[in-house]
Amino acid sequence: MASPSSSLALISTSTLISQGAEAKVYKAHLSAAPSDPPVLLKHRFRKGYRHPTLDASLTRGRVAGEARALLKCLRAGVNVPGIRMVDAAEGVLAIDWITGNSVRKLLPGGADEDEDTGEDEDESEADAADALQEYDISVDVLMQLIGQEIAKMHLADVIHGDLTTSNMMLRHPASFTSRHPTLRTELVLIDFGLSYHSNLVEDKAVDLYVLERAFSSTHPDSEPLFASVLKAYEQRLGKEWAAIGRRLDEVRLRGRKRSMVG
Amino acid sequence: MMQSYQLPQFPPDFSCVHAALYIDVSDADLLRKRLITASTAEGLTGARERDAVNFAFIEARLITSADHLRTAIYQAVLAAAQGGLRTKTVHSEIIWALNPTNNITEAMRRYGVSDTTSALVVVRIAGPELLPASVEADMDAVVTGTKASFAALHDLTDWPAVKKYYKLGNEAGIRDAKDDPEREHAVVDHIVVSSVAMKSVMA
Repeated sequence: MASPSSSLALISTSTLISQGAEAKVYKAHLSAAPSDPPVLLKHRFRKGYRHPTLDASLTRGRVAGEARALLKCLRAGVNVPGIRMVDAAEGVLAIDWITGNSVRKLLPGGADEDEDTGEDEDESEADAADALQEYDISVDVLMQLIGQEIAKMHLADVIHGDLTTSNMMLRHPASFTSRHPTLRTELVLIDFGLSYHSNLVEDKAVDLYVLERAFSSTHPDSEPLFASVLKAYEQRLGKEWAAIGRRLDEVRLRGRKRSMVG
Repeated sequence: MMQSYQLPQFPPDFSCVHAALYIDVSDADLLRKRLITASTAEGLTGARERDAVNFAFIEARLITSADHLRTAIYQAVLAAAQGGLRTKTVHSEIIWALNPTNNITEAMRRYGVSDTTSALVVVRIAGPELLPASVEADMDAVVTGTKASFAALHDLTDWPAVKKYYKLGNEAGIRDAKDDPEREHAVVDHIVVSSVAMKSVMA
């Protein structure tokens, strides 16, 4: 190693956005050029509880896996952030900064994550409706976009692994130029940290089931919402839907885990 | 017209990037011969000659955007700073980073200067002691052509060649956009930039 890590130097000048058990997320600029757009840095920091050699190889593998899933999605036309920099040795992945909001925050029930719900529930629903208005999109169209994007991803045999309304964003209309004739926003799938490649009906059905549970636990009265997600998914998937739909019914009865063994 | 910017997170020797686009380049064949001679020339003359052509000379028609170029430069500088160069210099590493395969000769043939090159991107990675004006003068001394803004890259791009090299002919993302050339180019650029950024963990 010729010098202390440049990626750590970059992180030291970046703004921390959030931290989880696996990684910290920052907003950063890769160069000092004024025209340089911001990027989102995901740093899988060293885990002191793991042997250093194992830690390095796990981190490298996960950064590589996430980057490959993103590229696969990009090639298949799924809306995901583009990759801007990979430093696998240091566990850093830089992707396009998306200006906008998570779908969770734009739907009723998602905005008041930390607050006590109950008395101000009406207010938060009104806030969510206002927020969607800013994106010039109806709840129903939003659900269709979600179904279409997941369908495109599954057609490319990418399983997200953690589909929730927090892991979907709407681009703010002011932040980009939409080439769509009627829509001024775009739905973007994010956080491919748990994604993997699979063409199995089971894995796709479980991916959908995880999202269904996320909807029902986060957003009140979400059944009609998820139904229109599934409808758009079905339309886009075509003949592959029948098997996945059948399996989804089975998964609903037994839960996410296929077997009770192991 | 030459652009300079800093990468402050890297060691000083790699922290300054200078890049210029030349169009209507008339003597690419001579430049290519000069590069080959310089690489093997001996003694003081050889060292001086290598110093005079100490740049990355990149085929501009295969560059899809300024982002594309910047991403390749970043990954090359990162490799150099980590002691992980796969080619001899940080400048040849930029060319290697632009090509989707691991074959160095192929990368040089495609993305380096060739006899038919008419538009060139010239890049110099340096320390802060080298002043932009002096780098620009050195570039002008090696290349015969007209300097242009990087905004002109987009119109120079040979999209079919880019799609061929990156095997994008049959991808769903490209097919969806085929009725709108502007949109198709944006999609291709997006995929190509991401491919360059993740080349180190590609396979």
